[in-house]
Amino acid sequence: MDRRDFLKTGGLFLVGAPTVYGLLAVAAPATGDRTGIGIHRWGMVIDLRRCPEDCTACLDACRHENNVALHGDPRWDIHWIRKVKIRAKHDEHAPERAVPLLCNHCDHPPCAQVCPVQATYKRADGIVIVDHHRCIGCRYCLIACPYNARYFNYKENEDWPNKKYPKRSHGVAESCHFCAHRLDVGDPPACMEACRGVRAGALTVGDLNDPDSEISRLIAGNSVKRLRDDLGTEPKVYYIGL
Amino acid sequence: MSTQDKFGRYKTFVLVALPIVVILAPLGYSLYEFVFAREAPTDAPFLEYPADVEGGCVRDTEYMRFHHWELLREVRDESVRDGVRGGITLSGCRDCHVSRDRFCNRCHEAVSLQPDCFGCHYYPSDAESGDGGGAHGAEEVSTAWTGGTS
Repeated sequence: MDRRDFLKTGGLFLVGAPTVYGLLAVAAPATGDRTGIGIHRWGMVIDLRRCPEDCTACLDACRHENNVALHGDPRWDIHWIRKVKIRAKHDEHAPERAVPLLCNHCDHPPCAQVCPVQATYKRADGIVIVDHHRCIGCRYCLIACPYNARYFNYKENEDWPNKKYPKRSHGVAESCHFCAHRLDVGDPPACMEACRGVRAGALTVGDLNDPDSEISRLIAGNSVKRLRDDLGTEPKVYYIGL
Repeated sequence: MSTQDKFGRYKTFVLVALPIVVILAPLGYSLYEFVFAREAPTDAPFLEYPADVEGGCVRDTEYMRFHHWELLREVRDESVRDGVRGGITLSGCRDCHVSRDRFCNRCHEAVSLQPDCFGCHYYPSDAESGDGGGAHGAEEVSTAWTGGTS
């Protein structure tokens, strides 16, 4: 092989190898997500017109399913979903209304941004979740959350109603995770199931990526509001009739 | 004052006995311990095998004995962070290794380990395994490991 042939062959390899590699990458794109949870994008619609004032079915179901601690003292009680009474500011005669509040699973979650150990993070399917194994209990996320949806385990939880699901030990932060353990295996979250169970049907959790899902149709067909939309956190909990 | 004055005619005896008592006897004892007494102490925390189950364990015994925590850590990260559920789980371990006392704690106690799995994950000990998760069982589990782990 003379010098000219050597250079020609070398050049061919130099150009050819990346080209083949690039073609392969285009043909079979590496998603970087081996689990497939990235195809969904979970969100929730709360239809306040159908949410009875004094109903606590979702709260109880959540507490039971996720072993959420209730010590009987507001300093330590933990609520993944809670009901607050609100009234329009501009009209003092406006009726009070009970609104379920929970983690909004923001697309830009402040809690995950401040977490120093990445214990709180956003999954590929949009669920904001806490890895309690990793949480060091610094409580930055409690301060960062604009919805006050996060709670801290100041005490050990003595109740353990649902043995299939772990509880949290003293010293970690926690919040709603849309029952990720149920969504992962194809079941609806406990609150949604309970809401359907009492025939209220106010809560709907579903895939925002799927235009034919119930939740997408609800959002498209109604006037929906999100809490503190001005903050730019892009919450994924939508309210109808707020 | 010379050594002769101090110990008198016992000088030789002292020079021989002192090193034996102070140095050689402890050394000999520890050597004896090292060589003989390590052989099969009668109260060795050896695990019983679970009842024979179709298919056996998820990995072979040697691997599980020395690396089960690495396996558990791996599947933990997969299920918590990536959402891969339904593979190896702690409750799956419980199907064969029915009791925390007999299968987890016996070794952990022998080597002074206090893994904090069971503060949050349900794994009944012998006392509770019968009731299948009543309120009484819950109390015992929740206080079992809180001392050193929280």
